Amino acid sequence: MGDARYSGPLERTGECCWRIPRSYKPGMRVDGLIYASEQLIAGILADQAPEQVANVATLPGICTASLAMPDIHWGYGFCIGGVCATDPEEGGVISPGGVGYDINCGVRLVRTNLDYPTDLPAPRLERLIEAMFRQVPAGVGRGGSFVFNRQELSRLLREGPRALERIGAVTPRDLDHTEAGGCLEGAEPKLLSDRALERGFDQCGTLGAGNHFLEVQVVEELFDDAAAAAMGLHQGGVCVMIHSGSRGLGYQVCDDALRELRDVPGKYGINLPDRQLACAPVHSKEGQKYLGAMRAAANYAWCNRQLLMHQVRHAFADAFEKPWEALGMELVYDVAHNIAKQETHVVDGRRRRVWVHRKGATRAFPPEHPEVPADFRAIGQPVLIPGDMGRASFVLAGQPGSMEQTFGTTCHGAGRAMSRAAAVRATKGRKIHQELAARGVLARAHSHAGLAEEVPEAYKDVHLVVDVVHRAGLSKKVARLRPVAVVKG
Amino acid sequence: MHETFEHTADVGLRMRAATLNELFAEAGRALASLLVEDVSAIVPRAATEVTLRAGRIDDLLFDWLAELVYMFSAKRLIFASFAVDIRGTALTALLRGEVFDPGRHGSGTEVKAVTYHGLKVQQEGDGFLAEVIVDI
Repeated sequence: MGDARYSGPLERTGECCWRIPRSYKPGMRVDGLIYASEQLIAGILADQAPEQVANVATLPGICTASLAMPDIHWGYGFCIGGVCATDPEEGGVISPGGVGYDINCGVRLVRTNLDYPTDLPAPRLERLIEAMFRQVPAGVGRGGSFVFNRQELSRLLREGPRALERIGAVTPRDLDHTEAGGCLEGAEPKLLSDRALERGFDQCGTLGAGNHFLEVQVVEELFDDAAAAAMGLHQGGVCVMIHSGSRGLGYQVCDDALRELRDVPGKYGINLPDRQLACAPVHSKEGQKYLGAMRAAANYAWCNRQLLMHQVRHAFADAFEKPWEALGMELVYDVAHNIAKQETHVVDGRRRRVWVHRKGATRAFPPEHPEVPADFRAIGQPVLIPGDMGRASFVLAGQPGSMEQTFGTTCHGAGRAMSRAAAVRATKGRKIHQELAARGVLARAHSHAGLAEEVPEAYKDVHLVVDVVHRAGLSKKVARLRPVAVVKG
Repeated sequence: MHETFEHTADVGLRMRAATLNELFAEAGRALASLLVEDVSAIVPRAATEVTLRAGRIDDLLFDWLAELVYMFSAKRLIFASFAVDIRGTALTALLRGEVFDPGRHGSGTEVKAVTYHGLKVQQEGDGFLAEVIVDI
C-alpha cells in the first residue's frame, strides 16, 4: 500500500511553501500547499503524505487550497498536519476523517511561581513525578477517579468544563483561557451511541497512552519578553504541559460516524479517492448529525484536560504542602489540534463562514481577533507546540499571516519521523529511562514499549518545524521549554 | 500468522490464513498482542458471543476489530481464543478471555480505533490475506 515515496509534482512557491498543482490528478478542485523548509521537505516526500494533501483537495466545497503544516506526516485519509476549509454555501462537506478519531485532542500549559532548580531540586522532582504518576490515571484499560452518571455526562457533553464548577474543578479564569471557552455550542449528547457514552462514564480525567503525556517543563529561552510576560512565563519558571483528548468516547463518536457515512458520499454523488475521507455535505442531515456529536465529544475532551489539570494541581499541592493557588498554577492556555470549527475567513476577497478542519494543526488567531481572550488581545492567541520528550516544546503566539494564508492555523507538534515499529527496533536493547535521565529528564511510563515508541529520535526536530511557521508569519516564537520530567501511559 | 507493518503514526496489521474463519481469528490475536504485552498470560476463563453482519467482507473485518476495541475500552475484556464462523458477510464468534489485569498482562498500546485506510481482505493463493491500519 501507500508507503512508497511521493512521486507527483511539487513546485516551490516561496521560502517556506511548496505547491501540488491542481492539474496533478483528476478531481482536485484546488491546489495543495505544504509549508516546509528545504531541510524538512525531503522527509515529507518520503511517504504518501503529499498524496493525501492532493486527495483532500478533491472534497466538495473546499476553499483556496488543501493545506499542510511543516509537521505533516502520513495519516489515513487526511494527512496529519492537514488543514482544509469548506464552504457550506458551495456544497461544502464535513469529514470526520478531517477531525480524526481523537476529537479535540489538544494541549494545555499550566504555569507556576516555582523556579527550577531552586524550588524543585532532584529529590522533590522525583517525589512530584511519582505523585503525578500515581494520582493521574494513565495507560491502557484503566478507568479514572471521576465517574459520571448518564445525566452528569450529558451536562459535560453539552457545556464542557463549565459543568465541572459544582465539583470545584474549574475556575472562571480557566474557562477564559481555554479555546472556545471550552464549549462548542450546539452539542447534542442525545446523538451519541450507548457505546460512546459507555466509554465516557469513567474515562474523563484519564491520560490514555500513545503520544499523550504529562510533562514538567522549564522555560529555557524567551524570544518575546512582552508576550511571555502576558502569559505568566519567566526564564527558569516551572510549567506543566498536558496532552490528551476525548478518550474512548471521542474515538467511538468518530467510529460511529464513519460507519454511518459508509454509503453517504455515493448518495450525494461525491467521488472519494480514499474511503477514510468519508464525508457528508454540512447542510445534510448526516452532516448535521456528525456535527452535533463531534461538538459533544470536543466538549468532553476539554473536560478531560480540565480534570487532568485538576489532578496535577493537587499532586503539586501535596508535594509542596501548599494550595495550588499559592503556587501560582494558572492555566496559560488550552488549544485543540484535532477539530472542525465554523469560523469567518476571507475567501476570494469575501468574508465567508467556513468549516475549518484541523487534523493535527492548531488555531493561531492574531492580535486583536475577537475570539482571543482579553489577556492576550495585544499579543495574539497562545499556541502550544509539544516537541519530543527529550528535546523541547514551544509556546508561540498567533500572527496575522495565519489569517491571510492558512485559515488562522499553524503547526501542532514535531511530527513523527519514524514509524512506531521502527522506533521500537531502533531502541532494542537500549535503556530509554537511563538515556532520558542522562539528558536530565525523569520518565515514568506504564508501558515500556510505549516509551520506546516515543523516543526523541522518532520525531522531527521541533525547532525546524517551529522555524517554518515563524518565518512564514503564521505564529511567532515566544518561549522554548525543556522537559525535566514526563509521565506516559 | 500475523505481523505488523509500518505506518508512520499508526500500526498496520497483516494477517494470512488458510480460511476466512482463521483469518479473522488471527486478526483478533494480532489486536490482542498490541493491547497487552504478554498475550500468553490471558486466561480464557469467560466466554462472550459476538454476532455481526456487514455489507462487504472488508467492512466485516472492520466491524469485528472495532467490536474487540470497544470491548477492551468499555468493558476491559481481553481475549485469548477466537472461534469464528463466517457465512457470507455475517459472523458469529465465541470469544474466551478475561478482565484486563495490567499487573499480569502488561500494558501494551492503546488502540483508539480501526481505520478504513488501506483496509483489505483478499484471496491469496490457496488462502486469504487481510490488512488493516489501527489508530494508536
